Amino acid sequence: MDNDLQQLLNDGATAEKSGYVIRAVDVKRVYRNGEVETHALRGASLDVKRAEYLSIMGPSGSGKTTFFNMIGGLDRPSSGKVYIDQVDIAQLDPYELAWLRCRKVGYIFQSFNLIQVMSCIENVMLPMSFAGVSGEDARDKAMDILERVGLADRALHKPSEMSGGQQQRVAVARALANSPDIVLADEPTANLDLKTGEEIIELFWKLRSDLGVTIITATHDLKMLKRSDRIVWIEDGRISKISTPDEMQIQIEEVH
Amino acid sequence: MEQIGKQVKLPLGRALQIAVQGIRIRFGRSLVTVSGVVLGVAFFMSNVTSQLIKQAIADEREQRQTLNLMLTLMKSEIGDLSGKTVALATFGETTVSERDLLAVLRKTPGLTLGAPEALGGKAHLLLVLGAGPATASPDILTAGMAQPVLLDSLAERAYPSAKPGSSLAQVRRELFFGRESEEQADKLKTQAEQATFRTLWIGIISILVTIIGIANALLMSVTERFREIGTMKCLGAMSAFIRKLFLIESAMLGFAGAVIGTALGTLLSFAGYGLTFGFGLITAALNVGGLLVAAAACIAGGTVLSMLAAIYPANFAARMVPASALRTNV
Repeated sequence: MDNDLQQLLNDGATAEKSGYVIRAVDVKRVYRNGEVETHALRGASLDVKRAEYLSIMGPSGSGKTTFFNMIGGLDRPSSGKVYIDQVDIAQLDPYELAWLRCRKVGYIFQSFNLIQVMSCIENVMLPMSFAGVSGEDARDKAMDILERVGLADRALHKPSEMSGGQQQRVAVARALANSPDIVLADEPTANLDLKTGEEIIELFWKLRSDLGVTIITATHDLKMLKRSDRIVWIEDGRISKISTPDEMQIQIEEVH
Repeated sequence: MEQIGKQVKLPLGRALQIAVQGIRIRFGRSLVTVSGVVLGVAFFMSNVTSQLIKQAIADEREQRQTLNLMLTLMKSEIGDLSGKTVALATFGETTVSERDLLAVLRKTPGLTLGAPEALGGKAHLLLVLGAGPATASPDILTAGMAQPVLLDSLAERAYPSAKPGSSLAQVRRELFFGRESEEQADKLKTQAEQATFRTLWIGIISILVTIIGIANALLMSVTERFREIGTMKCLGAMSAFIRKLFLIESAMLGFAGAVIGTALGTLLSFAGYGLTFGFGLITAALNVGGLLVAAAACIAGGTVLSMLAAIYPANFAARMVPASALRTNV
């Protein structure tokens, strides 16, 4: 390992007291489009504990997506620091960033984003092959995970042959393929009906308690918000408020 | 905690596997890409084949003409060939026309053909063939002939000098065929150059058409798969892997297209010319080696061109930011 990378890890470790799986420190992100500068994030700081269930809320254009991408290692801050598992992602080269995305973070998308040409189990095995695991080991592990999400019997089906809820469960299984510390879910229930949405929430809840996975979702789904530990409100590029579901309940009642 | 490592480089086999799967599933789109290559390569190959066939027809005609000329000359010297004796001296390599002539002479009923010394002066005519210098002087070759007549296929053949005092002046040397005149040679050369230029020009156009066609089809396919590519990147795929995926896909489509195109182009040309001139004429003097080389070049060229055309789309796909997978509603 590179010396400077080791240094970075040490920095991260000292900056880190304990238990935080993600730390964002005064993160700013500016998009330049010719002469126009767009300040998507104007300084957001957040610590996420291990095995926390966190929801991020905010109106569109608030910088919610940018922040979400930032703490998921999909984008780098213009200034400020983002530590994922104590590593400053701004300092990583593309190979290391790909490594991090592969093993530390699992992604779940609003529209599932399964690879349509691959069967269910192949989709789950894909991140494993990116991590260098293949063959029987990968197949066995993929079957285990599919069993966990209750789809072992549909392993050889194509995504197009499955319902939305089933597809999203495959996506959850795929996100878990390399046993990540963090699962990042972007509106995971938005394309699902109420009942299947609840099933997914239940699945998240179970994963968190069984595997100790940190779950971060961007969502407007009330049921999802209710089950989370903390809710982060983002407005105009800043974190305006961090509340618990109970407090939020009161606010919503006030509105209605 | 676990240390951050470098992302593993996936073996080519895995990319190949995924690419094959992609082609199989998106068969319709792949067919469109392939047909672009097929058309380009078939166009090019049919041109090359046509050139070769035209050349073959011209060669074959020339040979037949030369043969007729030779026979006519012989007949004008000694009349009807039947019942005559012809001495034959061959020096060096013989041409196709000369071999054809010999074949005709051997089949002529009543005609005796033999070496000058074996015939012992009974010959009516001495035929000298081949491209090499003669090893015996004309007077020795024609020794004993009542009326020495020597027909030579080469105007400037070197002969050893005759014995002093021999009657070389009596030996008549006729030419079966001299070299083509300078004018004719120039004309043929210009025609050949024009044909080459035309082939080259058509070749360049078909190459451009192929490249643009493939690049366009692949770009479409990249746009179509935007989310898929982004998803793969989110799952830990590196840009190099995505690039590899598209290059492999394109190379395979290109190879398939080039093989089909080459076969198609060759067959079409053969059918066209064969039906017009007869298959016997076009195959008699066909440069099969040249045709095989052209076919191999077409297949290799088609594959390489497809990969070249894929560079831009592949880079385009590889540069994509993973985050775009989250929000693209394609």
